[in-house]
Amino acid sequence: MTASKAAISVRGLQKHFGDKRVLSGIDLDIHAGDVTCIIGPSGSGKSTLLRSIAFLDPYDGGDVHVFGKLIGWRETPLGRERAGARELAEARRSLGMVFQHFHLWPHMSVLDNVTLALRLVHGVPRKQAEETGRAMLEKVGLSTFADRRPESLSGGQKQRVAIARALAVRPKAMLFDEPTSALDPELVGEVLSVMKTLAVEGMTMVIVTHEMGFAAHAASRVVFMDSGRIVEEGPPQTLFATPKSERLSQFLQTWRERAL
Amino acid sequence: MSGFVNDIPLYAAGLATTIAVSLLGIFISVIVGIFLALALRSRFRLIAIPARGYIEFARGAPLALVLFLLYYGGPQFGLLLSPHVAGIVGLGLYGAGPFAEIFRAGFSAIPKGEQEAAEMLGLTPGQSFLNIELPQALRVTLPACVGQTINLVKESAVLSVITLGELTKVAGTISSITFAVVTPYLTIALLYWALVETIARLGFYAERRFTVKGS
Ligand SMILES: Nc1ncnc2c1ncn2[C@@H]1O[C@H](COP(=O)(O)OP(=O)(O)O)[C@@H](O)[C@H]1O
Ligand SMILES: [Mg+2]
Repeated sequence: MTASKAAISVRGLQKHFGDKRVLSGIDLDIHAGDVTCIIGPSGSGKSTLLRSIAFLDPYDGGDVHVFGKLIGWRETPLGRERAGARELAEARRSLGMVFQHFHLWPHMSVLDNVTLALRLVHGVPRKQAEETGRAMLEKVGLSTFADRRPESLSGGQKQRVAIARALAVRPKAMLFDEPTSALDPELVGEVLSVMKTLAVEGMTMVIVTHEMGFAAHAASRVVFMDSGRIVEEGPPQTLFATPKSERLSQFLQTWRERAL
Repeated sequence: MSGFVNDIPLYAAGLATTIAVSLLGIFISVIVGIFLALALRSRFRLIAIPARGYIEFARGAPLALVLFLLYYGGPQFGLLLSPHVAGIVGLGLYGAGPFAEIFRAGFSAIPKGEQEAAEMLGLTPGQSFLNIELPQALRVTLPACVGQTINLVKESAVLSVITLGELTKVAGTISSITFAVVTPYLTIALLYWALVETIARLGFYAERRFTVKGS
């Protein structure tokens, strides 16, 4: 397998849950600085694709290279075997992940949420970690919330803390799985605007989203998935204005009707 | 009444023994309970099934039976234990089952995504367990743990069957010497009540201090 120049390179990716095939051969190259939005109907495999890239869902066919490293598997002369925990952590080091339901740690302060990995994984002394942590909170507009508990924050604030937490360890690419889907409509904007800033700064981002407006404005590329395959992809203007496939036209039609 | 005053040191010693043996026994219960709870959710059946079996056994076996097995049955297998050690270990093994059930529920109440978030940030499974899972599991299970602690303190009365000089044994001894029944047993009833009340209050205080809602 030739190492691709892409930041994240997905080749022939397959994933089954039991007998059920959820991803049937995905090929996707994400280049440094790309903002890739993945859209598609519910159940089409978008989350599974993202989680396979992070190896949170171990894929069972094909390969995923993250900044040149095969993630989750190790090639041996006898075939493939699962990478060890340390190897996996090493390959994941350049990835940050943001989840639909935030998954902040509720028993710690906001600042501790943001600094825990710096201190435990990267051995940064507390004082220095907290400086970085405060800078990250500042970046997401929550510098005054450092000592609060997650439970006292709104959904939008929680998601921004989750973004700060992921950014604190300086990932080279960020994966977002429906980051605004669990939010009340009036809180969506504050999270999208943080993401837009990141995009402008050149962060490599892969975003599963239903926010077509965001995809249209912020994405460098949109990928449309259905039934475990990539059906169509391209720049947002092209994809939204002139969908080639029946399924994408249908999907966009449904979305427009709902938006009205 | 002068008899009662003379007996105060006996009651005090009994109370001290009850407290010490219960605390140590419960400590063992909690530690073994945590490991059993972890074993229960193991992917490996060779680990999960024996843990389940142990918990079922501990649910069915009365404490007196566990103590008899350890204290009177142990020597047949070269296991000679003092009443104190047999009492502590017996209470510990007996209490581990219910504590395991409590912690299993506590661990499973933590959203899996919190571990995934930790994993993505590079925490090892051990770091994630110690920093994310265990502190939360201990917090959510605090009320149940306090209840179970109180149960075990009361059940420690059974330790008198292996001649251990705890409160109930003291009452029995005093009663057999003085032929008084009401005074010694009322006295220890009061002491058990004070002990249980203290634990409940400490638990209540800890709950108010540590409990957090999910995010
Ligand atoms: N852990 C799992 N076990 C079994 N089936 C799963 C699991 N996760 C997802 N699936 C199935 O895989 C398919 C794709 O799911 P998902 O990737 O979550 O889709 P999307 O994110 O596009 O809505 C769905 O049919 C879903 O039911
Ligand atoms: Mg999804």
